[in-house]
Formats: sequence, structure tokens, C-alpha cells
Amino acid sequence: MASFGSFLNALAELSTPMMLFHVAWATLLGIVVGSLPGLTATMGVALLTSLTYGLDRDAALTVLICMYVGAIYGGSRSAILLNIPGTPASAATSLDGYPLAQQGRAAYAMGLATAGSAIGTLLGILFLVLIAPPLAEAALKFGSFEFFWLAVFGIVISGQLTSSGDALKGYIAGILGLVVAMIGSDGIHALIRFNFGIRELNGGIGLIPAMVGAFGFAEVLTAMSSPGGILSKAPSGSDRTVPRLIDLWKYRLTVVRSGILGTLVGILPGVGEDIGAWASYAAAKRSSRERELFGKGSQEGLIAAETGNSAVVPGSLIPAVTLAVPGSASSAVLIAAFFIHGIRPGPMIMIEQPDFIYLLAVMLLFATLAILVYGLSLTRVFVAVLKVPHAFLMPLVFTLCVIGPYAISQRLFDVWVMVFFGVIGFFLRKMNYPMAPLVLGIILGDLLDKSLRRGLILSDGDITPFFTRPISAAFVVIILTAILANIPAVKKGFLRLLARSGGPGG
Amino acid sequence: MSMKKADMITALLLVVVALWLLVGGYRMDRLEIRQIHPASIPGLVPMILGVLLLVCAALLFGRARVGSDGAAIDFGNTGRLIWTAVLCLGYSVGLIGHAPFWLATFLFVTAFVAVFSWGRDDNGSAKLRRIAIAVVTGAVASGAISALFLYGFLVRLP
Repeated sequence: MASFGSFLNALAELSTPMMLFHVAWATLLGIVVGSLPGLTATMGVALLTSLTYGLDRDAALTVLICMYVGAIYGGSRSAILLNIPGTPASAATSLDGYPLAQQGRAAYAMGLATAGSAIGTLLGILFLVLIAPPLAEAALKFGSFEFFWLAVFGIVISGQLTSSGDALKGYIAGILGLVVAMIGSDGIHALIRFNFGIRELNGGIGLIPAMVGAFGFAEVLTAMSSPGGILSKAPSGSDRTVPRLIDLWKYRLTVVRSGILGTLVGILPGVGEDIGAWASYAAAKRSSRERELFGKGSQEGLIAAETGNSAVVPGSLIPAVTLAVPGSASSAVLIAAFFIHGIRPGPMIMIEQPDFIYLLAVMLLFATLAILVYGLSLTRVFVAVLKVPHAFLMPLVFTLCVIGPYAISQRLFDVWVMVFFGVIGFFLRKMNYPMAPLVLGIILGDLLDKSLRRGLILSDGDITPFFTRPISAAFVVIILTAILANIPAVKKGFLRLLARSGGPGG
Repeated sequence: MSMKKADMITALLLVVVALWLLVGGYRMDRLEIRQIHPASIPGLVPMILGVLLLVCAALLFGRARVGSDGAAIDFGNTGRLIWTAVLCLGYSVGLIGHAPFWLATFLFVTAFVAVFSWGRDDNGSAKLRRIAIAVVTGAVASGAISALFLYGFLVRLP
């Protein structure tokens, strides 16, 4: 009940004309960014972080949240119309969205995607409000030992789930991120490490320039060297946009399951919206009565993917706010934005700023309402947006990539950092190294380093508390299981054991 | 380049980074003068990361050596990629900081639009029209972005 009161207070606080104006433009911009292949939600949030530097806290965070929600939803536009996901989060959407568009039902597919996204975000908001406060309370019991394993858990899980089947490359990306985090002043004794004699590196590598490079410049290079898509049939006048309630009711179980799965995936550190969509899509396909339609224009598949990816957004904010561990790449940027605007995410959040979680929930709610309005009314307008050629769009994006990081620090050095990470990010992506663990490594490096050394100081150099404290031991078991499951010999042995125990007489 | 070759080269580069971390972490100041706890030396985590990276590099190299060549890495249209890289690097590293931001941005956007909207089969007047569009786009983009940051966000431009 107290939660509901706090939520209403937050609603009243943010329901000002100026805030609604920010919601309107930022969500629209987010949908446009998400719908344009080559521009991702993370890039949009990273660029807007520098643009909203001068706004007050609530306005700046509202703009960033609306950009995030809008971009994840907007990716479905190009997935349905071009068969090119506007963001990786919409890859599963294109499997059924594009066939629906080819059948002349593009507007209805976009309407379904809108409804799925809205419901997914709403479910995620519900979980955010329900889970975040007790999680923050539970996290108060975390000491250095637990935080060390939490950081390791984040890198391992993110490396494993985002690496499209090659966990080793995911781990390497995560370790490289941790290596980057070792540059600059160390968190305990303030000794400058690995600065190569460059004074600008004393404070470490800035997260925003690194992310703008890895997600912005690298995307510009990728988009300019990739072929464009072919626009499917434009929505016809007879094709309805507003989904029939009976369609949504028919797939209610799929919607709820996808919302829960998406939120859970969001809570996992560094595992983003694309995994949320794929997990929901796979679960829906497995349990569907019309399985044969999946991939050929299944409404259920489309709703599952869109509900799943949108539920990740609030889900990813749960660990971001309560543990300062990002649930996705975009929420990693949001953590940086929190610090810029004077909010210290972590277990103390419910003590220092108990209303903040409810403010976030209201911001997400406003963004959801905005995507509903835009999604159901501007369907045909977005078709025109998709026709903007890359030759005109990408130089503007790159100009923002250059001036954005500069605007925050007023240092040309950060422009060079952006360029460096853009080039490295481009080559790593081409060699199938996922970017999310790299970013997570940069964020969690300091936590991992400080927690390990603080833990060792507390235990006087004894490592046993890292394995014997209950929460630490649970983390160790999960991490070891996750790593061992990737070793072919172990996997084969386990399957053989399973087969033997399930066989005759077993 | 095949993925196998790329993985082998990457593994070697990772070994270099790992050794750099190991040596750098080992030789790092242990702050005995401040009498810190020996378990909290700043070089500890870099050394651990060096060992982990060395293990990963060995696994990557070993796997690539016994595996098949696999498909070549797809860099897309390399001509367009090189043009994009040259223009972007020329702007961000060459022009920014050496020329006023508005001029650098105007030159970059104009050149980018002109290069990538250039049609091989265009006749004289079509080429002129494309250049004119590129110049107008460059001027509008440079003016709008400069004004937004200068007057909207009160940022001193480079």
C-alpha cells in the first residue's frame, strides 16, 4: 500500500506540462532512432546523455528512459517493413513481422507489436516496483565478498548469453572490459595504473566516450558497409492498425509468459533485449498450438518477441538501480547518467532516495503511453522515415558521436577515446565478439577490483570467506555450473549420465 | 581473412596484452612505504586478469588450430567501409581541434553526402545537383548542430 502511495506521489510530481512535453519528443525521437537500422537504443541513450547534461535530474532521466523505451519499440518498424531489425532487440520480431507485412498486413503487424511492447513494458514496470525494493534491502547484506562474485557472475553470464554460441569470445570480451577498467587511479589506494604517461588517462577511460564509440561509430561503419533493405508493401488503407482485443486475449498466456521471461532476462547482468525477445519467442513456439505458423507470419510469435524485448527495459533497471549492475548495455549508460545527475545507484538507494524507483516507474509508464499513442496513430509516417538514405543520416550521427562526449568533459581526448573504441568495436563485432560483456567489464571492473582487495583485507589475506559465506557460495556454484556447461567434454558426460539414468532399468 | 586466421592472430595479440598485464601488475608499486596490507596491492587484479587472458588466448589458439578455416569474415562493401573510415577519421582526428567546429562539420557532412550519393552514371547537371544538395545539407547540419550546442547546451565548441 505504501508502494502505491509512493507511486501516486511520483505520478503527481512528474505530471507537469513540461515533463509531458519531454516525454512526447523524447519517445518520438526514440522510435525514430530505433526504427532506423544502424541506430541502436544504446547509441541513442548514450548520445542523449550528453545532450541532457544541462537539464534537471527528473527531466534528463525522463528523456533518457523515453529514448530507451521508444528505441526498443521502434526497432520493430524496420523489422516488419524492411526485414532488417532496427535494433538487435527486434531480430525475433522480423521472423513473423515481415511475413505478415508481405501478406499486406503491415499496419496490423505494427499494431500488434505496439500492443505487445506496451504490455511487456507494463508487466516489467510491475516487477520493477515489486522486486526492486526487497532486492535493494537484500543487497544491504552484501559485503565485499558477495560484490566480488556478483561482478564475476555478471561478466560470466553476460559473456555466455550474448555471444551467439561462442562463450569463449564472450568471456574474452568481458575480460577486455575489465582490463580497460584497470586503467587510471585505483579505487583503494589511488595509485595511477597503466596510464602510459598520458595525463588524461589518470581518471580512467570514460564510459560515455567508450560506449558512444562501441555502439555509435562502430554502427556507422557497419551501416555504411552493409546493403540496405527492401521496403515491403506499404500498409494499405484497408489494413487495420488497432489490434483486436480478441487477438490479444487469445494470446494472454503468451503475453504474460513473455513479460515474465523478458523481465528475468533483464535482471541478468548485461543480458539485453535481444536475448529477452529470443527467449520469449522460443518459449512461445514450444508451447504454441499453431507452431507451424511461426516464421511464416504468426501473430503469437510477433507478440511474444515484442513483449519479451520490451519487458527487458524495466527488468534491466532492477539490478541497475539496486546493485549498480546494469541489466543491459543501455542501462549501463543510464547508470552513468544517474551518477551525472547526483543519484548513487546501489543497495543504499531505498535509504538515500526511496522514491527514486517509483519515479523511474512513472517515467516508464509515460513512455509506454507515448508509444501506444504514436504506434497506433503514426504507423504510416514511420514508413517515410525509413526512406531516409544512410548517406544523409550517418554523417549527422557521427557528428553527434564526436560532439556528444566532448560536451560532457570538454576534452578532445574523449573524442579520440570514442574513435578508438569505435574502430576496436567494429573489428571485434566482425569477429563475433559481443559488445555487452565488454561494456559490463568496464562498469564492473572497479567493483570487482575493490571488492576482491577489500575482502582480502577483511579476511587478512584468507580466501576461504569467498567460498564459505552462503551468498558467495551460491554465486560460486552458479558461476562454475555456467562455465562447466560450456566445456564439450563435461556437457557430453552429463548428457550420457542423463541418458543412462533415463534408460531401461535406469 | 578467414575466421580461423583471425582467431589465431587475435590469440597472439591477447598473449601480448596478458603478458603486459602480468609484468605491469608484478612491477607495480606495492606501496610498502604506506604499509598497506600485502593482499591489497594495486597490481593484484591486473595480474589475475593477465592469467585469465592467457588461458583464454591459449584456448582460442588451440581451438582455431584444430578447427576448419570457416567462412571469411564479412566486412561488407570494403570500398564504402574505407571511404567511411577515411572521412570519419579525417573529421574527428584531423579536423576537430584544428579548424573551427562549424567549418570542420560543414566540410565533413558535405564530403560524406557528396561521396555516398555520387552516381557513376550521372551526367554533368545531375552531378552539379548532387554537389549542391551536399553543400546545403552540410551547411544546414553544421549550423543547426553548432547552434544547438553553443546556445542550447552552452557548450564551448572545439
